[in-house]
Amino acid sequence: MNRGKRWSAAVVGLVATVVLASCALNEGNGEPGASGGAGATTLRIGTTTDVANFNPLQSLSKTDNWILNAMYPHLLRIDGNARKVPELAQKYEYQDGGKKAVFTLRDDFVWSDGKPVTSADVKYSAEMIMKHELGNVAAKLGMVESIDTPDDTTVTFDLERPYAPFAEGVGFWMAIVPKHVFEKAGDVSKFANDSEWVGAGAYILQSATPGQRYVMKRNDQYPYAPKGGAAVETVEYRVYPDVNTMQLALRNGDIDLMGTPVPASAVASFSGDQKIKLQEVGSLGFAHITYNVSNKHLAKQKVRQALSMVVDTQSIIETVLQGEAEPMVGPISPIFDEYDNTGLKPYPFDPAGARKLLEEAGYADENGDGKLDGLNLEMVCDQSNPNLTRVAQVVREDAAKAGVELTASCVERNTFLSRTKSGDYDIDVSQWAVFDNPMDQLRSTYLSSNPGGINYNLVKDDKLDDLIDAAAGTTEHEQLVTRVTEIDAYVHDQALLTPLYVEKIRFAYDGSKFTGFQPSPSDLLGMVTGFSLSQVKPVT
Amino acid sequence: MVEFTVRRALRAVLTIWIAVTVTFFLLRLLPGDPTLLVVEGDMTPEMQQALRVQYGLDKPMLTQYWLYLTELVQGNFGTSFRQLQPVTEIIVSRVPWTLMLAGSAFVLTILLGIPLGVYAAAHRGRRLDRIVQMFGITGHALFVPSIAILLLVVAGSWLGWFPIGGAIDPDTRGLAAYLSLFHHLALPLISLVIVQLGPYALTLRTNMLEVLGEDYVKSARGRGLSTRRTLWKHALRNAILPALTLMGLQLGTLVGGAVLTETVFAYPGVGRLIFEAVGQLDYPLLQGAFIMLAITVVVANLITDVVGMLLNPRIRT
Repeated sequence: MNRGKRWSAAVVGLVATVVLASCALNEGNGEPGASGGAGATTLRIGTTTDVANFNPLQSLSKTDNWILNAMYPHLLRIDGNARKVPELAQKYEYQDGGKKAVFTLRDDFVWSDGKPVTSADVKYSAEMIMKHELGNVAAKLGMVESIDTPDDTTVTFDLERPYAPFAEGVGFWMAIVPKHVFEKAGDVSKFANDSEWVGAGAYILQSATPGQRYVMKRNDQYPYAPKGGAAVETVEYRVYPDVNTMQLALRNGDIDLMGTPVPASAVASFSGDQKIKLQEVGSLGFAHITYNVSNKHLAKQKVRQALSMVVDTQSIIETVLQGEAEPMVGPISPIFDEYDNTGLKPYPFDPAGARKLLEEAGYADENGDGKLDGLNLEMVCDQSNPNLTRVAQVVREDAAKAGVELTASCVERNTFLSRTKSGDYDIDVSQWAVFDNPMDQLRSTYLSSNPGGINYNLVKDDKLDDLIDAAAGTTEHEQLVTRVTEIDAYVHDQALLTPLYVEKIRFAYDGSKFTGFQPSPSDLLGMVTGFSLSQVKPVT
Repeated sequence: MVEFTVRRALRAVLTIWIAVTVTFFLLRLLPGDPTLLVVEGDMTPEMQQALRVQYGLDKPMLTQYWLYLTELVQGNFGTSFRQLQPVTEIIVSRVPWTLMLAGSAFVLTILLGIPLGVYAAAHRGRRLDRIVQMFGITGHALFVPSIAILLLVVAGSWLGWFPIGGAIDPDTRGLAAYLSLFHHLALPLISLVIVQLGPYALTLRTNMLEVLGEDYVKSARGRGLSTRRTLWKHALRNAILPALTLMGLQLGTLVGGAVLTETVFAYPGVGRLIFEAVGQLDYPLLQGAFIMLAITVVVANLITDVVGMLLNPRIRT
């Protein structure tokens, strides 16, 4: 190649790079007003994935929810103690023996295009979800017969039967969308809602640059903001798929808050950094071992109880979790202290006692190989969760001491979900991510009709059904708590599951720059509810 | 030459069709059900069935395949399960980033690899030659994410020379935006080049050593041509052909490496899109992305073939 050709090639290469760079820059970067700009208070939050879906009526991933929750109001929000407190609704009550749930709305929520938020928006949102069976809220609205709006601030849900957690479930999970915007889109089940957002939450999305960032601007009319408006004018989400990179970005000052919790293994690495603060929050989920009672062995209560006795929870917490978790006894997370049945005694770790119990159940070691004949069970787990993979190994080894042969099959996540959903397993070692209401949880997980599709035990127990139905129809709070704790005790006695632990959740943020977060439990919303962000202040 | 190019182009179309078919069926043979990933828990069988109908997964697989092909030939890649947007739009917004990263790595590898390979061969046994050999062998064993994390920690966090992830500083405009863009590009680019460069230079060195022993090279030297002219004009022209073919083949590896590099560096390209879509089993998006990558690799190989033919007319037959 002569000199002229080399120069030509170099120029072509340079031009190609600049053209590509220009194409890339046109994808949302360099837009005027896309960022907070100099002088504005901008809070930069790390998120792990892009927003997959901007339509809050659809099913949302956790990270979608972080952004959309701040933009669309909900009737109720969750506080730091996992209690549901007013947001758009100032109160709710049950009437007609629990068959009517009546929400009274605030009259000072306003959509960002200036129109007021009214009961018509609530009715529209619920009816669209019911009509198109959208997301997990559709199941919660499944018992609604009709919705009335006697005035702009009252919404009445007529239910086919009383259901105690209805108001909390729908109030917390259902995003309220602007009817006047969404009904123009036609079929809301296919509405992407990916531009010109109209919201009434604390922050409204202004620009989205997939793969990079999502910029939200303060809604000056958000009623829960402090007097004078929220101190943070712009919230910018930056996408870091790798949590290690996100941690480096926080240390370097590229972001101010990690939206995702700090992995237990990384907690110590932040301890030497003066500016980084760690905020511990409660958890709405827990790790557990669940038994498929359609298996002929696991159908026996004594077998399940014996298996519970080969699980050394305390040792698992100390070794696998390095102490970063709390034990739990019954099926309800301790964060719901009101429902937490403190009278329950955990099954002791006692492999010898477990073997005795199994022998009482009719199992024997005829050939003297140390294993109880015919008692071979498979444990499935999600291999993307390293803690549970190790738990499965520990339990397998301890079960062998009791003569039980367990096989640990830790498989790829999609396979795991598919197998547990279809009941193709004996024992499931996994983690419930979020249960925000104990009554809802017990009904979804143990009612034989499987209304939520998560009765992974495949349990069909008439007594349990009766207990659940009785509790679910109780709208008097004290009585509801009593009945829930009765179910708690029954499930524990039946050993339908072996609760393992509640992991400690910590969020990291730059405490030298910001303060005032109002965290909520778990990483469902964590530090980034619209309410929390509206309370954040720069450190002066 | 026209016949050669047409034959290669037809082969490229066939390759792309095979890639489309294999991708379509492989994705559907993967364990798991995309509808289960939309709602975890609280999903009734009726809701799940409604989603299957919405996604077109209720039809027999061959019918799905036929429908997909007929739409594809009309340029319709379908709608993303999760994003509810046309796949083409989603991918097109990410392609420039991946092309810039993988393309820059491709070009830089060649620009650095050629002189390194030539110099190592011309100075066999010397220090640089030994370094190239060592680098060439270890390059095969290097894992892109490990290099990426190491670079981030050292050059990004400790030394503070480069930003921690991302593609551009959002507050920059004009020339500053371009500078910011190249500043963010540096570490992912270096990661990819480190992995590619050693094996490429080593291949070229081996070819050069072979060619340098040929009679025509000795004859050129005997005719009094300078070493430099002999190396660059005569030996390299013949030694570069296998290296060129290798680069064509390695483009696939480069794009594969971009998936991991983009994930670690939070770089907004197609690789990261694939990473996220795999977790969601978003079939249309994955199919679209894989087809786009297959087309890129096939076209690059087609170009490599044509360039190879221009450099060596014997290939035409």
